Amino acid sequence: MSDTGTADAVVDATPSDAVASAPAADERLAYRSIFQRLFIRPEIGAVIGVVGVWTFFWAVSLNFGTTGQTQNWLDITATLGIMAVAVSMLMIGGEFDLSSGANTGAMGILFILLIKEVGELGGLGLSIWIAVPLSFVAAMGIGWANGVMVERTALPSFIVTLATFFILRGLKLGLSKLLTGQISVTFTDESHGYGFWQPVFAGEWQRNDHIWNSRDVVYIGFLVLGAAIITLAVCEMHFVRRDKLAASGLPIFGAGVAGVAAAIFLMHTTDGVSANILAAAVLGISILVGLYGFSTWRFEPQAAAGGLNLDGSIMPPLLGGLIGVGLASVASFAIDSDNAETLFFPFTVQGLRVVLMMILAGGGFTLLMVAGNKALKQNMTTKLVVSSLTAAALVGFAFVIRQSAEATKFRTELFSVLLFVALALFVWSVLGVRFAERRKIDEAADRTGMKAMVLGLALMITAVVLRHLFVVQAELDAGVNPAKFSVRMLWFFAFTAVMVWILARTRFGSWTFAVGGNAQAARQVGVPAARTKTQLFMIVSGAAWLVGMLLAFRLSSLQAGAGDGEEFEYIIAAVVGGTMLTGGYGTALGAAFGAAIMAMSLVGIQSARWNTDWRWVFLGVILLLAVIANRFIRDRAEGARR
Amino acid sequence: MAEHDLLQLDNISKFYGNIIALEGVTTSVNAGEVTCVLGDNGAGKSTFIKILAGVHQQSAGTIKLNGEEVMFKSPREALDAGVATVYQDLAMVPLMSVWRNFFLGAEPTKGIGPIKMIDQAKAMRIAVEEMAKMGIDIRDPEQPVGTLSGGERQSVAIARAGYFGARVLILDEPTSALGVKQSGVVLKRIVEARNQGLAVIFITHNPAHAYPVGDRFLILNRGKSMGNFAKEEITQQELTGLMAGGAELQELQSELEEAISGVKKS
Repeated sequence: MSDTGTADAVVDATPSDAVASAPAADERLAYRSIFQRLFIRPEIGAVIGVVGVWTFFWAVSLNFGTTGQTQNWLDITATLGIMAVAVSMLMIGGEFDLSSGANTGAMGILFILLIKEVGELGGLGLSIWIAVPLSFVAAMGIGWANGVMVERTALPSFIVTLATFFILRGLKLGLSKLLTGQISVTFTDESHGYGFWQPVFAGEWQRNDHIWNSRDVVYIGFLVLGAAIITLAVCEMHFVRRDKLAASGLPIFGAGVAGVAAAIFLMHTTDGVSANILAAAVLGISILVGLYGFSTWRFEPQAAAGGLNLDGSIMPPLLGGLIGVGLASVASFAIDSDNAETLFFPFTVQGLRVVLMMILAGGGFTLLMVAGNKALKQNMTTKLVVSSLTAAALVGFAFVIRQSAEATKFRTELFSVLLFVALALFVWSVLGVRFAERRKIDEAADRTGMKAMVLGLALMITAVVLRHLFVVQAELDAGVNPAKFSVRMLWFFAFTAVMVWILARTRFGSWTFAVGGNAQAARQVGVPAARTKTQLFMIVSGAAWLVGMLLAFRLSSLQAGAGDGEEFEYIIAAVVGGTMLTGGYGTALGAAFGAAIMAMSLVGIQSARWNTDWRWVFLGVILLLAVIANRFIRDRAEGARR
Repeated sequence: MAEHDLLQLDNISKFYGNIIALEGVTTSVNAGEVTCVLGDNGAGKSTFIKILAGVHQQSAGTIKLNGEEVMFKSPREALDAGVATVYQDLAMVPLMSVWRNFFLGAEPTKGIGPIKMIDQAKAMRIAVEEMAKMGIDIRDPEQPVGTLSGGERQSVAIARAGYFGARVLILDEPTSALGVKQSGVVLKRIVEARNQGLAVIFITHNPAHAYPVGDRFLILNRGKSMGNFAKEEITQQELTGLMAGGAELQELQSELEEAISGVKKS
């Protein structure tokens, strides 16, 4: 903090400066920027994981991003996610359920036995209309029994539910053999009520039956609009809003928007490389111009950005980072361009070269980020210089990658992504130099920004969903693989939404956190701890019933071992999603994302043509990274303990 | 009010099997008064609190609340009768936010039937208001209780008890884990709660904390009552002496002095 000026007094809210600055809403409440606020959400680790794992497999495999593969991993996510969400709630409540995996299979088998065997024994055939609620009651009973046993015996739920696990496992096998003489049970579409219940639990959306030729226009429109709204929302929540809006910025904003539209149109209608490069350049400049105009209109200009100050703390990481990226570029040339098959299999010479390049590049960009962080502590001008250098390094690296793209089967899209990140970095630091960053809470701006952000996200999600649900004639003509989306996705979304709502908004949700965080304290203030925990066990068992139904109607036939051993996958998904193993902290949404990460790694490894045995190594690494990241996020969320 | 005290305890005893945890304890507390319960470790203070809070039930003796004989079978019953306890471990969930802790177990709800949800805006507003009444300006009701200082946590607990209509407030060693300044803050809260008309039972092992705020003192030692005094009947010195069993303390003091002078010589 060498220079002292009015700008710095606002920037550093140290006690001595606090007198000089304007009276804040509450001087003890340190302002947290939009990014800091996002980064203390417990789900953030899992969200980053989803994006990261998806990008990784998208980059290393040829078809991971296609609808067929997407449908594959979403299908696995649905059943795994329903269980992971329920299990994460139980874990937040401080308990485990080791019987949850076996329970899914048990419910499916019980259901099939009810409609088949009970019917045959009675000579009539038990209707599905009766078997569905009957098996649900059984599930509630199992959950209740688990809960009551844990509460009454005060034994660890690990032990109690381990016993339940063995009982269920034995019952599945024993009853199947006793009643059908086989270790798998089957039912047919002749059962009464099948016509109604089959679509409820196993309905499918055949993508190739739904043609919508203007799909891509809507897709790109929604995607770009959504991204633009989110960008503006981030600006709204990051900069100081003007008291009086400056209309002079509006024409510039309009010009930027027009430029973006023109660039997208150009990209969409032309195919040539030079036209695309032109369009990309127009796009980049237009985004900068548009955001500049928008900010001029709405935000307070920066009083003083400060002078360039590349001191001893910035130079080493900056130079180191640039050298690292340079070496990575050199290393990328060493990759044998004729040998693409085993590219990402780690233990080949070729693989090691790629790993070397990735380590160098990763290290280099990490150092550049460190330098950027240190520059931010100096002033915005320094930050701009460091960011520009980082952006330049990104652009250079992107071109090097593209150079060897064809040979190494690197996705050419990676080129665009790197360029885009460079652009975002550059534009963001230009805005930072020109406009004053917010240092105080502005609830009105935050509300507007939050609403806009939700709207933008909704638009983008709608765009992606539409793209996957519909097919255009051109794709059909090219012989696109059929893909079918199961109704189980809807069950998964609905279940997750309800559980997220329950956790965040209801008394039961509050009590769940309380009994997991400090059960004794919860009891002392009158929370019915035993009842809350029992109900949590029943939620897990209910989820197992739902998954059992989904499995039974999908497969019509279930092995006696169905679901056994999967309980640890649910727990891993929940932990990856930010749920604390010791209880009292976590989210249901995070668990859903955790399930997606696991499903993606399973499908992605096949898609990248690795041996699927490597899945477990991959999962282990993911779990480790997730736990460390979540620990970090939680410590940040709690703040410094006194 | 004049005929009987708000809370009157007569010959309370508690046995765990053949172990006598508490025997023949008698004391009382009135609205707008502070009764201090003093005792060293193992004196039976915890048992005493647990009986009043409804965690345990007395084996013998009677508790009269407003002249009526009562027996609390659960913490909920005690709470409903207006006897709120702020425990040493604070009965707080550190990872949960201030407002959720404030309303834990009694959250205000809106909506009907299955879509009944917590009225968050109301809960946050009340939590901030009630804390302000205690003189604590909560920065952000969403901040986890774990990030508050010890004194602030005590204040949340005391404010919560007061808000939920407590008539009798039992404080279990509220100052034991706090520094000098923070202890002062909590003692101030006790006086404020008393001034608001609450009957306060303040459990402590520190006579220096008890004497300035107390109106009545009950001294426990090894499960037995060493006396139940009004403030004018006893001085702080006597209080300290009674607490540790006078002679023992003097012995200890002389031993200590010897040890210290020994250190100085060598």
